[in-house]
Amino acid sequence: MNRAISAAIAALVVAAAAATLHAQDLGALAPANLNKQRPAAPFDVTGTWLNDIRFKGSWRFGPPPDNVKLKGEALKHFEASKQAQAEGKVYHDDIGQCWPAGLPMIMTRVWPIAMVQKPTVIYMVSGFMNSFRTIFIDGRPHSDPDVVVRSFNGESIGHWEKDTLVVDTKYFVGHHHWIDSGVPASEETHIVERIKMVNPATMEIEYTITDSKGWDGEMKFTKRWNRVDDQDIQEVSCLPDLNQHIPSTQSKDNVR
Amino acid sequence: MTSRILSAVAILLLAAATASAHHAAAGIDRTTTKELKGTIKAFSWQNPHSWMEVEVVGEGGKVVTWTVEMTAPSYLVRAGWKASTVKPGDEVRVTVRPLKNGDPGGLFVSVTLADGRTLTERPVLAQAAPATPPAQ
Repeated sequence: MNRAISAAIAALVVAAAAATLHAQDLGALAPANLNKQRPAAPFDVTGTWLNDIRFKGSWRFGPPPDNVKLKGEALKHFEASKQAQAEGKVYHDDIGQCWPAGLPMIMTRVWPIAMVQKPTVIYMVSGFMNSFRTIFIDGRPHSDPDVVVRSFNGESIGHWEKDTLVVDTKYFVGHHHWIDSGVPASEETHIVERIKMVNPATMEIEYTITDSKGWDGEMKFTKRWNRVDDQDIQEVSCLPDLNQHIPSTQSKDNVR
Repeated sequence: MTSRILSAVAILLLAAATASAHHAAAGIDRTTTKELKGTIKAFSWQNPHSWMEVEVVGEGGKVVTWTVEMTAPSYLVRAGWKASTVKPGDEVRVTVRPLKNGDPGGLFVSVTLADGRTLTERPVLAQAAPATPPAQ
């Protein structure tokens, strides 16, 4: 009898603990989070997508628009990169040296991106270096800055505004991370993406990029992606012995 | 039909862009090409770039090994490639966009195999169209 009472009490304790968990305490794939009542998402990005290089601006997030005034180290880098380009040299080719492209550049490489959308989260895996990105859409706030682990893709938190998914991303790694050639990202880089579907096969994202450390003003870019239903993402790694056979990454003309 | 053509053009542009996407390619001379007549030393079928080494006999009989950067296998397959398309010892003619600094390396443009076939990185459907690799 005592054993039965103990078991019942233990079950009650477990149940009580589970009941106190809030959505933000649950992992994005926890059934209790996935099954929470939410309005239906306006669209589902699940699929394989490829940046549309025919669209204006293609894969670049630069050069900086006229309304942006670079400053500090960012300005020094930009001036040095212009000098390098004038001399036919490559400036800080960190991606070629296996540093992650990071947001925003990872979104516009010419390899496809696989996207999987659940009610609580969107996962993205790039065909370029298998870069992994998570966008939480379960209502959680950004993490405590004293807890978060900074990354090249940052921490992305999304919410729906009518037919648009608005994604706020911050907490970036601020070294070996570039917005565009000669324009460095920093720990202060902040990116807002407004994602919408132009049609079921075309996705458009408006980017607003700010960085209080690197420049005054907002950089704004609009990019498009097309579904590529005949492609899959493969395993890919940046390997030292691969770079030994990539002439441009080994070039003496790289400025590092 | 129009969408088919647009799709082919998009794939063509993509293939042209892919060769320089892993890294900046300012060191590549995109204004010219160079033909290498030689022997395959190595060919690697891998992501994100495949590559080949071609041994070319230069002046005075000196053998120079050229390193040639290619795009990803997923695009090469669409251009008619397989992992076994070239192998060490094959006699080939390879056209590249060379490095500006004169080092023996460059971006792949095409290969003509011993059996006379010529392969590029472009999808077979789009090979009739001209390609202008976008500068980065």
